[in-house]
This record gives sequence, C-alpha cells and structure tokens, in this order.
Amino acid sequence: MTNNKFILQRLALGEKYMSLLDETGYTLVDMNMIEPFSMDDKYHHPTSVVFERNNAMYAIRSDWTRTLLNFNSNFYSDDTRFGYFGPVVRENESFYQAGVEIYKVGEEDIINALLMHMDFVEECAETSIKTLVINNDQLIDLFIEKYELPDTVRQLVYTKNISELRELLGKDHDLYKIMSAKVSDQFKMVSSIFGDTEVMQAISHLKEKMADEETKFILDLSFRSPQNYYNGLYFQAFLNSNSAILSGGEYNSNAFGIALNLTDGGLL
Amino acid sequence: MITVALSKGRLFDDFVSYLEKYELYKYSKVLKDESRALYTIVDDIRFIFAKGPDVPVYVERGVADIGIVGSDIIEEEVFSYLNVSGLPFGKCHFALAGPPDVEHFNTVASKYTNISRKYFNAQQQPVSLIHLNGSVELAPILGLADGIVDIVQTGNTLRDNGLIEYEKILDVQARLIANKQTFYTKEDSIYEFLNEIGVIE
Repeated sequence: MTNNKFILQRLALGEKYMSLLDETGYTLVDMNMIEPFSMDDKYHHPTSVVFERNNAMYAIRSDWTRTLLNFNSNFYSDDTRFGYFGPVVRENESFYQAGVEIYKVGEEDIINALLMHMDFVEECAETSIKTLVINNDQLIDLFIEKYELPDTVRQLVYTKNISELRELLGKDHDLYKIMSAKVSDQFKMVSSIFGDTEVMQAISHLKEKMADEETKFILDLSFRSPQNYYNGLYFQAFLNSNSAILSGGEYNSNAFGIALNLTDGGLL
Repeated sequence: MITVALSKGRLFDDFVSYLEKYELYKYSKVLKDESRALYTIVDDIRFIFAKGPDVPVYVERGVADIGIVGSDIIEEEVFSYLNVSGLPFGKCHFALAGPPDVEHFNTVASKYTNISRKYFNAQQQPVSLIHLNGSVELAPILGLADGIVDIVQTGNTLRDNGLIEYEKILDVQARLIANKQTFYTKEDSIYEFLNEIGVIE
C-alpha cells in the first residue's frame, strides 16, 4: 500500500482501538511474528507459511488466535482478556488484524464484547452496522438429532444446496422450509423449533440487546467461518462493503475471539 | 442492483430458453440481443457474460452476486461460494471413453483431471493422467492415451471419432451459485431474482 491517507488512517484506528481495549481492562500483547509450529497445527491453520531452521519447525504468524494461545500456554498468564494489533501472513499475502481473545468466557462476556466492538465501529464510521450474520454449528446437530437426518444433510446445508435439500427432505420438511426462506426469516423459524435450547437462547439474548434497529440481524444455518477451529457461535458484521468489518466466534469450548478488519486501511 | 454472471456458449442458450419457458421475456429478449456485449442491464439486474470457468471466480470474489455455471466446472475446481440450486438445463454427463476393445486403461487424457483422478481413485485403479485443453478425442486416435474422460451430451462426437463410452462417471447440469457475503447484504434483490426465475417458490 502506498496511499499515505490509508496508512495513517489504519495506524490511527489501530491506536484508538488499542486505547479502548486498555481502558476497558484488556491485556495488550505484541509478539514476534515468527512462532514455533507443529505440523499438527496445519489442519486448523492451513494458510500458515511454514519453514524449518536448525531442525525445528516455525511459521510466520497467520492468526492472532493461535499466537495468543501459544502466549498463554508459555507464560501461564492469569489474564483472560487480551487485545492485539499487528500484521499476519496468509499464503502470500500480509494484512493487518486487530482484535480480542477472551478465555473462560460466558454468554454475557460474549454479548458485551460484541456490543462494545459494534459501538466502536459505528462511532468511527459514523454510521450503523448494516448487517450482523450469526450461526452456531451446534444448530445443525440439533436438526440432525431431532429429525433423525443423515449426516450428508450437513454439507447440503453448509453450501445452501436448496435443490438437493428439496430432493432429500421434501418440500414440507421444516429444514427445507427454513433453508428456502429468506435468510432474515430464519431466526424466527429456527426459534419456533429450538427456541428453548441454550444455543438459541444465547442468540436471542444477543438480538434483544442489539439496540440499533438499523442493523439487520440474520441467523443463517449455512453461515460458516473459513477458519475451521470455531466450533460454536460464529458471526460477521458488515458496514457498506461486502467484506466483513468484524468477525469472530467461539472455539475450544470456552474461548471467544473478535477480529476487526483493517485490510484496506480504514473501516470497510 | 445485483450482478448475474452467465456462462457463454451452450449454457447461455439454454438459460435464455429457460427464461422464455417462464415467460421472462424482459430478460430473454435483451440477453439474446446483447450476447456479444460484455454485459447488459435489465431493470435492477446486470448480466455479465463470462467464460464458464471464470464464472465461479467472479462469484467467489463478489464481482458477481449470482452465477449460472455447469456443475462440471464446480466439480473440477475448488471455490468458496454458496451452491444454491441445480437448474433444469445443461444436462449431460462425464464418461470414460475410448476405442473399442480397450481391456485396461493405463493412460487417460482429459481436460478435467481432478474429476478423473477422483473417479479412478474411487475405482482403486492406478492410471496416468494427461491434461489437455480441448479436442481430447485426438489423444486415443494418435496413441497419446488409451482413453479419455470428457463431457458427453449426445454421443455424436464420440461416434464420429470411432470412440465408445465405457462408463458413465458423473451427471452434469447447470447450477446457480451465489456469493457468500452479498447473499446477506443484498438479500432482498437476490431472493426476488431467485423467486422470479423459479429457483425458490
């Protein structure tokens, strides 16, 4: 990037964001970009650039989530809320990531962290977040269990393969009706079936706490993270661009991460 | 405004016929007239005309919100998009073909080496694959390969070249694909179009 305005904008945003995290009790971290790496990590971090030196494997940081997990296991920190801002490298591209990782997390922590980030983005962008898309991987498990569906249905849902779902389930099946409805109608439809489950309760609570009526709230069973270590709630928030300004989710059962997209130097 | 990427060639003609079947003449008429252009706009829909293998690229990158593409292309390459629906046209199939009396295929030529590899692996049959960009029927005629894996529609091309079909590998049809992000950010316009062309009821 050679545009002065974008470079300065990104640095200013990074500083403003890190100051907010400092004021709200997060531990700020800045780490070496070269990290010890085990080939077992390749499954969760397939885009990491890996190399060997002196009979040991290393990787260039591709994801702050992994960096923070390493930090915690090496330094036995008692802190549970961390914030970061810095570059990552995936395949042949480098870009800037800022965000938080929260460990030993409860529903309230997740909702508060998410709302704080949405407020930050809206204040900086001077406009509302237009769309928040959310899903929890456990929802498809609930459908498979309740309706005794074959596991193959999972891939059809992930790829939103409506025609094959119709063929497999029939037009009158609840899951087909949900998948062929507008995505903004899914929350209501899934709630009518699984509204009393813990998974849907958490999503409902988040929806209730989102005061901004200008933000469209979408639950979509097809919505998945490109990072396959997320195994619970996962979300993305959009301003005016088709790239998410915020994304993140639950992993390792009791950890939650949120990343702020500063790729293009400013708020997308 | 949403953008729909259409594959040029046979699939494009089939799509226009499909639109006419649904009496969507406002689209079909313009598309017929403008098929030599790079793009055309009808109401709130921009149709772009692309080579089949490029359609998933436009959709994955968000340049197009929706794409109409053959499932052969989807099966051959790995892309990230929503694979929304099969469409009732562009039907044909992949087949293993070769000259009569081939007892064992050791070397096979194809434009679709990933699909071929998947097929032969599933058969637990080791073969040497040669990638060609077209006119694959030449390969067994000239002795480059024992057989070919290619798309068969009527079977005329195989017959004309003295080849026969040994095995049907995979059905092919047109599919509608969608970008993963704009499916949310342009939801209303996308669903309106999907409804209009009968993909969802």
